[in-house]
Amino acid sequence: MDHPLENDLALLAGGEAGRIRRFLLDRHVRTCAVCRETVAEYRELRSELSEPGLPDLNWNFLAAEMRANIRLGLEAGACVRSTQVFRRWNPRLGIAFAGLTLLVGSGFFLRDVRPLRYLPTAAASEAATTVLRSTGSAVEIRTGARSLALLNHHGNAVNQTVSAQGDIGTRYIDSETGSVIINNVYLQY
Amino acid sequence: MSICNIRRTAVVVFLFALAAALSAQETTLDPSSSLKIDLPPDAPLNLISTTMGDSRATSRGGTVVLDLHMGLTLRNSGSRHIRGVTLLITAQEFAPGGKGSVARPSIDVPPGENFTLPIDIRLVRPVRETAGPLVRVQLDGVLFDDLSFYGPNKLNSQRALTFWEVEAQRDRAYFRQSLRARGEKGLQQEILASLAKQADRPQLDVSLTRNGRIVGSTVPATDHVAQFAFLNLPGAPVQPLEGWAAISGNEARSPQIEIVNNSGKPVRYVEIGWLVKDKQGREYLAGSVPAPESTMVLPPGHRTRLQQDTALKFSRAGRPIEIDGMTAYVSQVEFADGRVWVPSRRDLDSSPLLRVTAPSPEEQRLADIYSKKGIAALVSELNRY
Repeated sequence: MDHPLENDLALLAGGEAGRIRRFLLDRHVRTCAVCRETVAEYRELRSELSEPGLPDLNWNFLAAEMRANIRLGLEAGACVRSTQVFRRWNPRLGIAFAGLTLLVGSGFFLRDVRPLRYLPTAAASEAATTVLRSTGSAVEIRTGARSLALLNHHGNAVNQTVSAQGDIGTRYIDSETGSVIINNVYLQY
Repeated sequence: MSICNIRRTAVVVFLFALAAALSAQETTLDPSSSLKIDLPPDAPLNLISTTMGDSRATSRGGTVVLDLHMGLTLRNSGSRHIRGVTLLITAQEFAPGGKGSVARPSIDVPPGENFTLPIDIRLVRPVRETAGPLVRVQLDGVLFDDLSFYGPNKLNSQRALTFWEVEAQRDRAYFRQSLRARGEKGLQQEILASLAKQADRPQLDVSLTRNGRIVGSTVPATDHVAQFAFLNLPGAPVQPLEGWAAISGNEARSPQIEIVNNSGKPVRYVEIGWLVKDKQGREYLAGSVPAPESTMVLPPGHRTRLQQDTALKFSRAGRPIEIDGMTAYVSQVEFADGRVWVPSRRDLDSSPLLRVTAPSPEEQRLADIYSKKGIAALVSELNRY
């Protein structure tokens, strides 16, 4: 005679077997004394586990100790929070930010060493093109990062001449001598 | 983040910033070693002294920035009065891509006297190419009061100095005539009118590049070809016939102008003044279209075409100037015998369009004397030579 598995008998004893499985197991148990005895043992064990006895402890003392631990945890947490607030204003961080500001500032002021106020913004291919430009303060020839500029350093009242042949001149009155100075820059082949 | 980590980060950032600052600081070089001044031994000029002022050569990262603020004191060692000097400035960085010149026209330096020439240069170049002087200053030409010339003339300084001198003679004669005819009051009115004209003159910022196209080739679809209108000055020995340029927004390219020699003498150089008009109807002096550098001799009655393969972009106060029209006039002519023609004062007053043309260097200088020292100083200057 084939007996069902003990796991199935345990499920039957606990009322947790499926409906069809329970019908088949019940039919077997009615005709099998061995399995009926096994199911009975599982039911007895289950009834014993459902009513465990409480250990003999001082529950009031245990509750007081738990409350004390909770208070201690809250106070420790408060200490940690106050330390973090203090770190936010740590002067070392200030030094770090000052260094960073110095770095960014250096980059800003050193980003361009050209005398003119405008920069070539064209693509890299255009950067290789030689361009002759004039402004009120200088006339400049530039190829990529290289440039040559003649500045109207000592005077103003600039007049400008542009030749389609490839040169630009600026003319100003030298404030020291009162003479006319003409700076020309030539774009050559 | 722990305190230890914060401290470590702060130290790293600070050291990095310090290193960046140290590497970026100006490393002072010797500017005098970056400069070479060459005067030919037989030149009618002697170099008396050179002041370097606040010149400095600095190294920033991978770049050398040479700021030269020099004053050259030169002596007229010849026997004639000097009317103008041009120095050629070359930077090895740009040879053969570019060069400059510093000129001082409208002077009267007797033999044995000194005069100064300020030179202010900024050169930016990679630091790796540092062999030899960065900038070389050479004499390109000296013009004397009899319009004779000395110098290698690599920049055609003889022509430029001669034109400036002829314009100076024209304008000095004009203001002297005003003084004689109408007294100091009349001269004052003329010079005030000149100052007002200079103040009203709108100026453009211009960038110039080689066109990269063959002159006369097909232009892009965004371009259109605009024709020049011409102002014919009554006394001009050369007459413009027709001309055009490719226009695209604020850019004008490949100007071409056909001219005819109406004089009885062969012409070897012509320069056409070029005015542009924006969409609002304002006129500006854009530049000039000169004859090519190659030798041109235009016999009487013959025609030729002036054409330049360059592109000019115009802007004002950072805003592009949309070109709506162009006008041209003959501004300079040099005959084969070396004599030159410039428009007369009457020619320049003949059209309101020419109000935007630049005053001559001498007119600019005389107006500056009046502005700074008054009418008595101007009269004294006009009576000097």
